[in-house]
Amino acid sequence: MSRIETLEGALRRANRLVALVLGAALVATAIFVLIDVIGRKTGWGSLGGSDEISGYVMAAVASWGLACALLDRAHVRIDLIRQKLNETGQAVMDIFAMIVTNGVVLLIAYQCWPVLQKTIERGSRANTPLETPLWIPQGIWFAGWAWFALSATLLSLIGIAYLARGERAKLNTSIGLGSELDQ
Amino acid sequence: EEELAVVGSWSSLPLYQDFTTPFWTEMLPEMTDGDFTAQLTSFDQMGIAGSDVYRMLGDGVFDVGQTVADYTVGDAPELEGLDVPLVATTADQAKAMVDAARPMVVDIMHDRFNAEVLGIAPYPPQVVFCKGEVSSLADLEGKKVRGSGRMTTKLLEALGAEGINIAFSEVPGSLQRGVIDCAVTGAGSGYSAGWWEVSDHLLTLPLGGWDPVVIAMNKDRYDGLSGEMQDKLKAAVAEGLEAKAWAAAEGGLENDIACLTGEGECTSGDAASMTLVEATEEDVTTAREALESEVLPEWAERAGTDWAKRWNDTVGATVGVTVPVSD
Amino acid sequence: MIWTVAFSLLGLMALSIPVGIVLFILGIGVGEIYSAFPLLRGLGQVVWSSSSSSTLIAIPLFVLLGEVLVRGGVAARTYAALDKWLSWLPGGLIHANVATATMFSATSGSSVATAATVATVAMPQADKLGYDPKLFSGAIAAGGTLGILIPPSINLIVYGFLTETSIPQLFSAGLLPGLLMALAFVVVTALICKARPSLGGPSRSFSWGDRARSLVQLVPIILLFTVVIGSIYAGWATPTESAAIGVVIAALIALTLGTGLGLGTIAEALHGTIRISAMIMLVITGAYFLNFAMTSAGLGRQLTELLENTGLPPIGTLLLVVVLYLVLGFFIETLSLMVATIPIIVPIIAGLGYDKVWFGVLMIVLIEMALITPPVGLNLFVVQSTRGKGSMNEVILGVIPYVLVMLCMVALLIAVPGLALWLPSIL
Ligand code: NA
Ligand code: NA
Repeated sequence: MSRIETLEGALRRANRLVALVLGAALVATAIFVLIDVIGRKTGWGSLGGSDEISGYVMAAVASWGLACALLDRAHVRIDLIRQKLNETGQAVMDIFAMIVTNGVVLLIAYQCWPVLQKTIERGSRANTPLETPLWIPQGIWFAGWAWFALSATLLSLIGIAYLARGERAKLNTSIGLGSELDQ
Repeated sequence: EEELAVVGSWSSLPLYQDFTTPFWTEMLPEMTDGDFTAQLTSFDQMGIAGSDVYRMLGDGVFDVGQTVADYTVGDAPELEGLDVPLVATTADQAKAMVDAARPMVVDIMHDRFNAEVLGIAPYPPQVVFCKGEVSSLADLEGKKVRGSGRMTTKLLEALGAEGINIAFSEVPGSLQRGVIDCAVTGAGSGYSAGWWEVSDHLLTLPLGGWDPVVIAMNKDRYDGLSGEMQDKLKAAVAEGLEAKAWAAAEGGLENDIACLTGEGECTSGDAASMTLVEATEEDVTTAREALESEVLPEWAERAGTDWAKRWNDTVGATVGVTVPVSD
Repeated sequence: MIWTVAFSLLGLMALSIPVGIVLFILGIGVGEIYSAFPLLRGLGQVVWSSSSSSTLIAIPLFVLLGEVLVRGGVAARTYAALDKWLSWLPGGLIHANVATATMFSATSGSSVATAATVATVAMPQADKLGYDPKLFSGAIAAGGTLGILIPPSINLIVYGFLTETSIPQLFSAGLLPGLLMALAFVVVTALICKARPSLGGPSRSFSWGDRARSLVQLVPIILLFTVVIGSIYAGWATPTESAAIGVVIAALIALTLGTGLGLGTIAEALHGTIRISAMIMLVITGAYFLNFAMTSAGLGRQLTELLENTGLPPIGTLLLVVVLYLVLGFFIETLSLMVATIPIIVPIIAGLGYDKVWFGVLMIVLIEMALITPPVGLNLFVVQSTRGKGSMNEVILGVIPYVLVMLCMVALLIAVPGLALWLPSIL
């Protein structure tokens, strides 16, 4: 197995692990909300903050999960033109789409940093009774975008390497058009 | 001629429709002889959070931003001092409170958000809608209450109520189905949103304060104007927006309460028949005590002693409340 | 500006750049070209605030709920049971798609999650029985949209929030039109397949004994509906919280009444949930940013001017609004379409004397249409990504009859407002 394949495999495993951690966080949130609802109904008292914490979990899913969806080729692409092209044309489109994606993701991640930066500078806390220091959820969220940017960059390089070596099948499984049933 | 990009607060509420919109789109050019025009939208139409308005204003994403100061206290806890619940029961008192706090607000907006304060306008006072029998503040104990803003929720908790944090949109349904027992909002908003359909008792004690809206301008943009233009703009905002919003706050509460309870004349539409619960002397004393012994000292910790002291000297002196400061 | 954005959107998407990324590119472009302000500086803040939302967590929760039901074998059994009752109709299994989507709509607040659930159980059957993929997948995409018309509904909650309209009233107003539309989907499917049998699959008949026995397979989903909707109406939970309760109950159901959940299955369900949710969230955050950029650049003014200077009678303005949603619905993701337009359009409509609850339901039907019209139609994407082969065009062709049904529904709602308003008036 070449070094590129090793790298791709490692990236896949890492993102699968990320997905499992996020999924577990989602389940934990559901259970937390359930306990909160039961507590409120029975009069044992609410744990408080389940609404706020749900939001933070959502932000984590919506940033860390993006790379997972990218590796699984789950981000939706329209194949109106692509499907009419031959293999070379498709490979060119895939590489093009990947590089554009990569560029935009790098830009977004870069623009996300000032949000965390302001929070750290001001010591901002959530405007709630919990007063959560916002650098924690925003730090996790920003790290997710940074991870997405890193994963996208590595995947672009992997795609270019496969293209250079003429390995079309591998190119397709790494950055081609994906589907749910391939998993 | 200067064209300003202005972002207002909630586009569905009277402050935006009756005052913000006519001022920026019609009156401003007239009052400044055409020196200023404005393009107006609101944060809800832009799909941005009310708490992000000043962050973006500081970055120069637009020229003028208006949002409820309470929404942004996550970035500036000292700004909570602009709207302390309970201490102002009439529009006059609220105006006095806001005027006393204004120099602080000017400094806060400048230091935290790179912004220049143009004016401060009120929402109608925030009152409590309850489903089920409530005859005094003491009855809130053990009830599930949806607060608005951190200091209000803390006050409710100090009074023995359970502060529940749910979205504004979920309030009517939650009240109706008993997820919560009470909820705090402006009397007028509660009337137009039909909260009276799902609740029956109205506590008019301003437990939620007045939710003042700070109208602020990006500092770089403001500094780029000539002194004369700066004065013109500030004068126009003071006269055309701020003064009118305060004048309306005066009669507004009375009318809103009439509309909600059916006692008195309601000019906004058909009156509902909620039971009006007037706060007793005892209620006010209890609440003030909770405010001064628990809620304000906690705020002093969040904001820092210097701000607490400055608050004591200005707002505190005006409304007759002192935050115990440790040193 | 509206047209430039629309054409750029089409062009960039045709280049097969991921849809969410295209929305970000357009937002950045609108900011640079149509606005004098550095809107890009607001990007991070918009991404954070639009994704850190406790309302939106209902989306991954409902997706997870669906995954659990699918992988725990509950969805397949529900589907099989409904198949036994409906596949004698011309169009066969396609009716089970619609019926399953209708049942799941009653437990799910999201159209995307409903479509994902039904697509996952139905797609493997289509190949086995030799169905034409067009109408089959179209029915799933269209049926899935019922998720936001039949309560609970995330979109009706958003509408209620933005327009200060009673959410329980909106929920009850959506129920009859939702059931009627499901029925219309079944009728239309049957008519089409009667006329062109090649579009459907084999009609199969099951004995009454089979059908009766299959009823027990519907118990889990009815139980889940009772808990999710019941917890809302009994006052235990908010609509968002009911999604979390639904996940836990679904897991219990899968463990006890389904085929069970192994560790591997759980891992797959979690992985799948994150994959689908992240895909949706990239589109939603991209749409939020585009909306932010377009509003900042004055889209709101363009719309208001468009509507107020027409000189049309109320019904004319209403029809213009309908057309506007049809057009915008092609391009804009639904939640952001609502967020962007409600503050502008609902006051105008209410000012003309129309009922806000009624208009909410009408708008939801229009939004449902947006979910299945290309090029941006989340349900099309979901069905296509579950299908995993063939072209997106097949799904697009397949939804056409159902889009027509929705248009008829819009006309019916305008002609007979009582369809929506009767139930809230007696509750
Ligand atoms: Na639903
Ligand atoms: Na669409």
